[in-house]
Amino acid sequence: MLTRTRTRSIARQVGTIAVTLLGLLVLTFVIGRMMPADPVRAIVGEEATRDTYMQVYQQLGLDRPLVVQFFLYLRDVLTGDFGTSIRTGQPVIDDIITVMPATLELATLAIIIGAGLGIPLGVIAAVKKDRWQDHVIRVISLAGHSMPIFWTGMIALLIFYAWLGWVGGGGRMSDYFIGLVPPVTNFILIDAALAGEWDVFQSALNHLILPASLLGYSSSAYITRMTRSFMLDQINQEYITTARVKGLSVRQTIWRHAFLNIRVQLVTIVALAYGALLEGAVLIETVFSWPGFGQYLTSNLMIGDMNAVMTCVLLVGVIFIALNLLSDVLYRVFDPRTR
Amino acid sequence: MMNHRTRLRLSVAAVILASTPVFAETPDDQLVIGFSMTNILTLDPAAITGKETVQVLANVYDGLVQLDPVDRAEVQPDLAESWDVSEDGTTITFHLREAAFASGNPVRAEDVVWSLTRLMTLNLAQASFLKTYGFTAEGAAEAFTAPDDRTVVVTLPQKVNPEIIIATLGIVGPGSILDSELVKENARNDDWGGAWLAQNSAGSAAFNIQQWQSNNLVLLTRNDNFWGEAPAMRRIIWRHIPESQSQRLQLERGDLDIAFQLAPADLGALENTDGIEIQTVPSAGFYYLAMSMKDERFQDPKVREAMRYLIDYDGLNEAILPFYGTEHQRPISGGFLGLLDDPGHALDPEKAKALLAEAGYADGMNVTLRALSDDPFLNLATALQGTLAQGGIRAEVITGSGDQIYGAMRERNFEMIVGRGGGGQLPDPDSNMRALIYNPDNSDEARLTNFQGWRTGFFDEEINSMIDAAAATTDRDERIALYADIQNRYEEEAGPIIPFSEVVTSTAYRDDLAGLTVNPSWSTDLSTVTKTR
Repeated sequence: MLTRTRTRSIARQVGTIAVTLLGLLVLTFVIGRMMPADPVRAIVGEEATRDTYMQVYQQLGLDRPLVVQFFLYLRDVLTGDFGTSIRTGQPVIDDIITVMPATLELATLAIIIGAGLGIPLGVIAAVKKDRWQDHVIRVISLAGHSMPIFWTGMIALLIFYAWLGWVGGGGRMSDYFIGLVPPVTNFILIDAALAGEWDVFQSALNHLILPASLLGYSSSAYITRMTRSFMLDQINQEYITTARVKGLSVRQTIWRHAFLNIRVQLVTIVALAYGALLEGAVLIETVFSWPGFGQYLTSNLMIGDMNAVMTCVLLVGVIFIALNLLSDVLYRVFDPRTR
Repeated sequence: MMNHRTRLRLSVAAVILASTPVFAETPDDQLVIGFSMTNILTLDPAAITGKETVQVLANVYDGLVQLDPVDRAEVQPDLAESWDVSEDGTTITFHLREAAFASGNPVRAEDVVWSLTRLMTLNLAQASFLKTYGFTAEGAAEAFTAPDDRTVVVTLPQKVNPEIIIATLGIVGPGSILDSELVKENARNDDWGGAWLAQNSAGSAAFNIQQWQSNNLVLLTRNDNFWGEAPAMRRIIWRHIPESQSQRLQLERGDLDIAFQLAPADLGALENTDGIEIQTVPSAGFYYLAMSMKDERFQDPKVREAMRYLIDYDGLNEAILPFYGTEHQRPISGGFLGLLDDPGHALDPEKAKALLAEAGYADGMNVTLRALSDDPFLNLATALQGTLAQGGIRAEVITGSGDQIYGAMRERNFEMIVGRGGGGQLPDPDSNMRALIYNPDNSDEARLTNFQGWRTGFFDEEINSMIDAAAATTDRDERIALYADIQNRYEEEAGPIIPFSEVVTSTAYRDDLAGLTVNPSWSTDLSTVTKTR
C-alpha cells in the first residue's frame, strides 16, 4: 500500500515538473519571438543589403509560421538539441558547459560566505531580540540587502583594488595568465592546482574573493532574516524553557537543541539562496567582467540570440525545480514526521 | 564550538592568503587590451560586422594592400609588393611578395582568388563593399584570376575608378586573404570553412588566433612564419570589459596596456593621469540630425533648411561630444579627397523661424525625435530638443535600443532622428556618398536599407548620376571638382541628413608603450608595439 502511494506521489511530482517545464518553454518561446531585438540584423550588420538579410532570415527559419517554429523547437529540445548560438556559432549546450563553472565557482564561495555570516548573525539576533545586538545586525543585513550590487561592486573595486591593491580587478585572474593553464574542469582554482601553477591559483583566488564576498554579503541578508525568525519560533517553545530549567546554559540550549531543530529549514533557504545566486550574479558579473552564466544570458538577450536565451531560461527553471526537489528530499531525510 | 572556531580560523586564513598585494604589471612581452566584445559574433573575415572584430583581425589577416594609419587617403603595400592599373582602367594587376601563412603554406595568387571568390559566394556582411561596385558571385571567376603563382588580376565588372577598388581591398574583411589549403581542410558541407573560421584563423599577419571565448577574451599568439619584422609581443590578450569604469581602473593599475572603449567621462579623467596617454583619431561616420522625406512636411526644402539653423553646432561639440566627435558639417570624412571647407552654419532661430513661416509653419510644428538611449545620443537629443524649440519645433524625444531606433529608420517610419553613420570605412569619398546620399530606387519595395539616402527618402536622379560619374572618373582633379559639385548641390537642396560632427576614436594606453599608431579605420597594427619598462 505504502509503495503504491509513494509511486503515485512520485508520478504526480514528475507530472507537475513536466507541465512546469512545458509552460516555461512556451513562455520563453513567445517572449523570445516578441523581443524587439533582431537576430538577423545582429548577424548581417547595419550596412547589409536586402538580399543578404533575407538569406540569413531564411537560414534561421524565421520565414516559417510561428507554430511550426515552436514545434520544431520542441522537437529539437526533446531530442537534446538546444540549437546553435548566434553569438558563438557553437551548440548552446557547449557554451553553457564552458561558462557555468565560472558562475558556480563564484556562487559557491559566495554561499559559503553568505551562510557563514548569515546563520550566526541570525541566531544572535534571535537570542538578543530587541537588544542592541539585534538592531546592529538588522542594520548590517538591511544594508546588504538594499544596496545595489553594481554600485557596491564599483566602490569595493575602487577601495580594495585601485587604492589598496589587496585584490585583483576584473576577470577571473590577471590577464597575462590567461591560457597558461589547460582547461580540464573549467574551475580555474581546480585547474590551476592540477597543473601546479600556483601563481595562477593565487591570482584566481585574488580575483574571486571580492565579488564572492559582495555576493555572499548580499545573500546573507536573506539568510540572517530567515534564521532569526526560525530561531525565535524555537526559543518560544516549551522545550527550551524546560532545558533552561534543567540547568543547561543558554549557549548549550541554543546550539544543541534549538539549532538542530531548524537545520532542515536552514538547508532549504540556503539551497534557494544558492539558486538565486546562480542566476542573480548578472550585475556582479558585468562589473567584474566575470565570464559566467549571467553575462552569457544578458549579452545574448541584447542581440536576440533566441536559442541561447531560451536554453538559459529553461536551465534556471530546472535549477529551481531541482533545488525545491532537493529540499523536499532533505526534509524527508532529516525530519521523520514528514516521512 | 571547536568546529566553529576552526572554521573561523580557516576563513581568516583564506582572506589573508588572498589579500597578499597583487603584482599589477603586465609582462613586457605580452600586451593586454580591454574592449567590449559584445559585437563579435564570428572571426570569419567574410562575416564580421563591427569595428571590434576589425581591430582584432587586422593583426591576423593581411590584405593585398593596407590602409595608411596617418594619411587616410593613402594605401600601402601588404601582401602585394606593387600593382599596376591597365591603360583603360579596367584591370588591376597585383604582384605578390614571397610570404607564408601561419600554417607554413606559401601565399599564392590562388589563395587570393579563392578568398575573394569565397567572399562573394557566401554573400555575408563584408560582401557589400565589393557588391556596390558590381562584383557578384556569378562574376567572380571572371573578375578574379591568377595567371601565375605571384600575380593576381582583378577585372572591374563596371566602370569605376580602380583606386576605389584598391582601397576596398585594403579593408579588413573584404580584403583579408585566407590560407585556402588550411580552410578547405576544415570545411564542412559546403560552408567554405565558415564554422571553423568563426573560431580559428588562417592568415599570414603577425599573430594567430589561439583562442576565442565569446564575451570573454580573444587570445593571439605570435606567428613565427610572419614575413615581416617579428613583433616584440609574444601574446596579445584582448579582454571583454564592458564597463568603462572597470577598464579605466585596470588601466590605471597597470593590469591593462590599452583601453579601446572608454566613455568620455573616464577619458576626461585619464587625460590628467600620470602614466597614461590618449590618442584621438578621426573615425568613420558622422553624428547627424535626419528627417524623413516620407513625411510631407519635410518634402519642403525650406523646412529642411530651417532645421539646419536650429542646431547649436559649437555647443553640441564642446559640451556633449568631446572624445566622441569633432565639428564637421559636410557629408565627406575629414582628410578624404575633395572635401570642401565647412559651410559654417550656426544656431540662428530667427532665420529658421522665417524659413518655417515661408513654408507655412508660422506656428511651428510637433515632431518626434528618435535617439538611442545610450550616450551620447540621449544627451544630443535633449540638447537638440531645446534648440529646435527656439524655432517653434516641439520635439518629443523617443528613445530605445538600436533595433527600435534604427529599425524605424530602416522601415522609413520616423519623423526625425539623431543618429550616427555615413560610411568612411573605405577611405574614399565615394563611401560617404553611397552611405549618405545615393538612392537608386526610392520605392518602398526596393528596401535599400544599406543606403541612408533611401532610408530618409531623399531621391535626386541628377545627384545619383553625379555620384556614379565621380566614382568612375580616374582623373584626380576632375574627381575633386565633381565631389565639390555634389557637396554644393546637396547643400542647396538641403538634404535631409545634416551632419554636425565627425566621429572620432579615442584610445587610452600606458605611456611606456611605444610604436602604437591608432588607425582611423580601426585596423590598428599591434606588431609594431613595444614596451619600455
